[in-house]
This record gives sequence, structure tokens and C-alpha cells, in this order.
Amino acid sequence: MTSTTFSAAMKTAPGMRTRVVNVMRLHLVNRFQMILAPWMIMSFIFAVSLLIGLMFQPARASRPDRAADFTMEFNGAVLYFLIYMLVLAVMAINQVFPFAQSYSVTRRDFYVGTILTFLTLSITYSIVITVLGWIEDATNGWGLDVSVFNPGFLGPNLLERFSILVVMFLFFFMVGMATASVYVRWGAYGMYVFFGALALLILGLSWLTTATDSWIAVGNWMATMGLLGVVMWSLAPSGLAIITGYLILRRSTPRN
Amino acid sequence: MTAAIEVTDLTRRFGSTRAVDNVSFRIEDGTICGLLGRNGAGKTTLMQLLTGQDFATSGDIRVFGETPAENARVLQNVCFIKESQKYPDDFRVKHVMKSAPWFFQNWDADFAETLIDDFRLPLDRKVKKLSRGQLSSVGVIIGLASRAPLTFFDEPYLGLDAVARHLFYDRLLADYSLHPRTVVLSTHLIDEVSNLLEHVLVIDNGRIIIDDTADNLRGTTTTVVGKASAVDDFAHNRTVLHRERIGGISSVTLGALSPADKREAAAADLELSPVSLQQLIVQKTGSPASETEISA
Repeated sequence: MTSTTFSAAMKTAPGMRTRVVNVMRLHLVNRFQMILAPWMIMSFIFAVSLLIGLMFQPARASRPDRAADFTMEFNGAVLYFLIYMLVLAVMAINQVFPFAQSYSVTRRDFYVGTILTFLTLSITYSIVITVLGWIEDATNGWGLDVSVFNPGFLGPNLLERFSILVVMFLFFFMVGMATASVYVRWGAYGMYVFFGALALLILGLSWLTTATDSWIAVGNWMATMGLLGVVMWSLAPSGLAIITGYLILRRSTPRN
Repeated sequence: MTAAIEVTDLTRRFGSTRAVDNVSFRIEDGTICGLLGRNGAGKTTLMQLLTGQDFATSGDIRVFGETPAENARVLQNVCFIKESQKYPDDFRVKHVMKSAPWFFQNWDADFAETLIDDFRLPLDRKVKKLSRGQLSSVGVIIGLASRAPLTFFDEPYLGLDAVARHLFYDRLLADYSLHPRTVVLSTHLIDEVSNLLEHVLVIDNGRIIIDDTADNLRGTTTTVVGKASAVDDFAHNRTVLHRERIGGISSVTLGALSPADKREAAAADLELSPVSLQQLIVQKTGSPASETEISA
């Protein structure tokens, strides 16, 4: 492209950084779906939780053993959020990938941009949830003993909480992305094989654990690792998903 | 001349079918080239290969001198507007128009805006909710306003009305003369675009069966109509490309005729008419005109 001149002025490609940033902008161009919608639903869950807290407040106030009452301490709001991110990841591959191909984006640029988008979202959302959880702690559950952003199982250490959230976000994003790339590459048959193989793998592992009578050992291992340790181990499947996702997508063709 | 596209022995197999079957051709830089053929002939697959969206089974593709697959330097200069293009479910037209300039460096925002007005495209509507014609105009606008040095239009105006189609032809020609570039146009509406085309490639069953300039093609064939016996006499010893007969009247398509041939035909009371590009292709791709889809 250097020696020959063409009728139209050829553009030299901008550096990879610009190209990858453009992919990230493409992912986020629909702000409503990517940012507003999950937080709107989160706010709704938060509002409902507050109302429930308000509803039970008189009953709880009359109980002498308030400290032992942890019925309001667990809340699925954060889990809901993670599932929403999984759906976003699936759509990013299933819908944005074929669209990005029409913008003449290479698969490699698309993939790097997608992972960086998800990494950015993971970190940002984890910070927001950790900060809200910190406020929640400081205000005694918004004055109503309500736990939304600090579900009891996350523990008291803020940094630890943040790390657990980031790693969990990444897990859901990357698994969603890799699974969707199986679909984009091999269609419905790919899904049957993938989920069939996954079911067999889980069955096999359970079988092995039962046959060797190691369930107690597994339980002990989890207890020693703690939540942080166990969650950190999810980095292994996340990393595997990143690598296999790319290997699958780099030969994928957008369907008509 | 320099070639914008150079393809050598290109094959793309899906299982046992050869969607593109050992094809070689070049498309000159700075021309409008028609890529014509019937449904399932291999047009879209060929364009997907040329734009790096699909991978060749064998053979060599050079776009602006380089292999296009996963090559950002080449793809940067390529825009492929596909009739079947999918958009993300929740995208509105404005999301498409906002993001397109990030990927096409020659993007002309003013031109895009004019086109949006011309095609009366509602910016705030979800792409999913657009009519077939409006959906096509999204592609047409991106293809024109991106001003990519190499632009592919694959059946770009499905569902567009005649006014909008002519708008597209006019805008394409006007902008093409101001900003020379290479355009590959794939369509069924052959007669409508035949004046636009400088070069024609016809693909049938994965093979290129015509590769010629539009001017040559227009001059190469003539239809001779008249009384069956007179037509038969005239056609005798000449290569007949196509023959039709209704009652006592016969019509044959022949190769180029010399002035002497034409005088002979006139003397025998035969009527001569040039064959349109569309008729030519219908005959070459081997099915009776009555069965050929002439859409929209």
C-alpha cells in the first residue's frame, strides 16, 4: 500500500490503541443498555429493600436479640447484577461482533477492546458497590438494618470486598463471552455439544469426589481458603475463557 | 492501471459445496464494478472473502496489494454494506450514525446528515423497528458517507422505493465523481444500474462467467426478431446464444453484427434490437427469462 497510489486517498490505520478504544466506545455507545438499565434495576431493588426494612422495623425494634437477627443481612442484588453482566457479555459477542465486522474491525482489535471494556466495567462497578456498601455499614444499613450493597457473606474488609467483586465480575463477563463465541462460531449445535460436555465434566468431577470420599476434604479446603481464596481460584476459568474465546472467535464468520 | 482487488484461484468450500470455485479476476482501482448473479451464486460469500469477514479455503486475495483477513491496514479502507447486516438489538439509528465515524476516517458528517434528510430516516427509532426500506437506507448512508476507498454494496436497496433508489444512484454518481474511489455493486436490478457500471463481473455457481467492461457487453449481442423461417436462415452459420419461438415468430440472440450483417437482416425484413445487460445475463446464467426473478 506504500508504493502504489490509488484513486482515493488511502488512510493509514490509526495505532492499535486508537482502534481498541474505538471498539470500547462502540460497546458503550448505547449508554442506556450498558450503564443506565442495570443501575436503574439495582436502584429499584434497593428501594424495595428499604421499604421492606421499613415494614419490619417496628417488629425488629421490639425484639431484644437484634444482634442475632440476620434475616435482612443477605440480599441477591449483587448476584442479579452479575447475571446482567453475563447477559451483556453474551450480547457483546452475539450482536456487537457481527456489527463490528461491518465496520471493518479486525477480530483481534474487537476482542481486545471487548475485554478491556469488561475490565473497565468490572473495576468501576466494583468500586461503586464497595463504596455504597461502606456507606451501608456506616449508616447501620441505611438506618433500617438493610443489606443491599454489602451482603453479609462479603465480609468487613473493604479491599477484600472490592477484590472479590472485581474477580466475580470478570468471571461472569469472561464466561459469558466465551460461551457466546461458541455459539457465534458453531451455532446451536455448538451449544448442545458445549453444555453436554460441561454437564459431563461436572458429573465426572462429582463422581470422582464421591468415589474417593473427598467431599469433606473439599469442604475443608473451601473453609481454609475462605471466600476470597475460593473466588480467586475463579481467575483460572476466567483466564481459560479469555484464551479459548479468542481462539474460537478468530476464525468466526458473522452469520447472514 | 492498478488493481484495487486481485484474486487468484480463490476457492471457498462449505462441506461439499463450492460457494466460490477457483475464481481469478481483478477489479481496477477507481471504477464502479457490478458483481451480478443469481441468488446463491456466491456473490455475498465472495464479498465476505474480499472484506476479511470469511476465510478462503484456498487461493490468494489482494486488496490494495495486501491480504485483507485480519489486516487492519487494509480493512481501514474498506466498507462493506450487506443487505442482511444485523445490528445490535437495542441500537437506535442515532447509535449507528454516532459510531460509524469512529471506524471510517473519510466519514463526512455533513454528507451523512444530508442523506439522513433525503431518505427521511428517523434517528431515534430502534433499528429493529425500521421498515425494510428504512433499514436499507441506513446501510446506503453509511456506505456513501464513509467514503471508503473501497466500498461494497451487497443488494443495498432491498425494499427501497423507486424514488429512494434513484436518490441512491444520483448520490453515488455525484459523490463518486467528486471523490474517486472503487465501488463494487451487487444487485438484481441490473438494468437500473447498468448505466452506472464500468465493469461487470457475473458469477454463477461460484464461477466467474463474464468479466468484461460494460461497454463491450452492451455491444456484443443483438436480438433478431422476425418470421421463423427468415430468422432461421439468418441465424444459420452464426452462433446462437439464445432462441425463442412463439407461433410463427422467432427471436434469436446473436453475437456482434457487422454493418453488412445488419443490411442483410434488414433486407430479410428482420428486426434488430440491442440486448440489455439484464437480458444478456439472464440468458448466460441459463434460465428462461420468464423464470428469472426481477425483484422490486
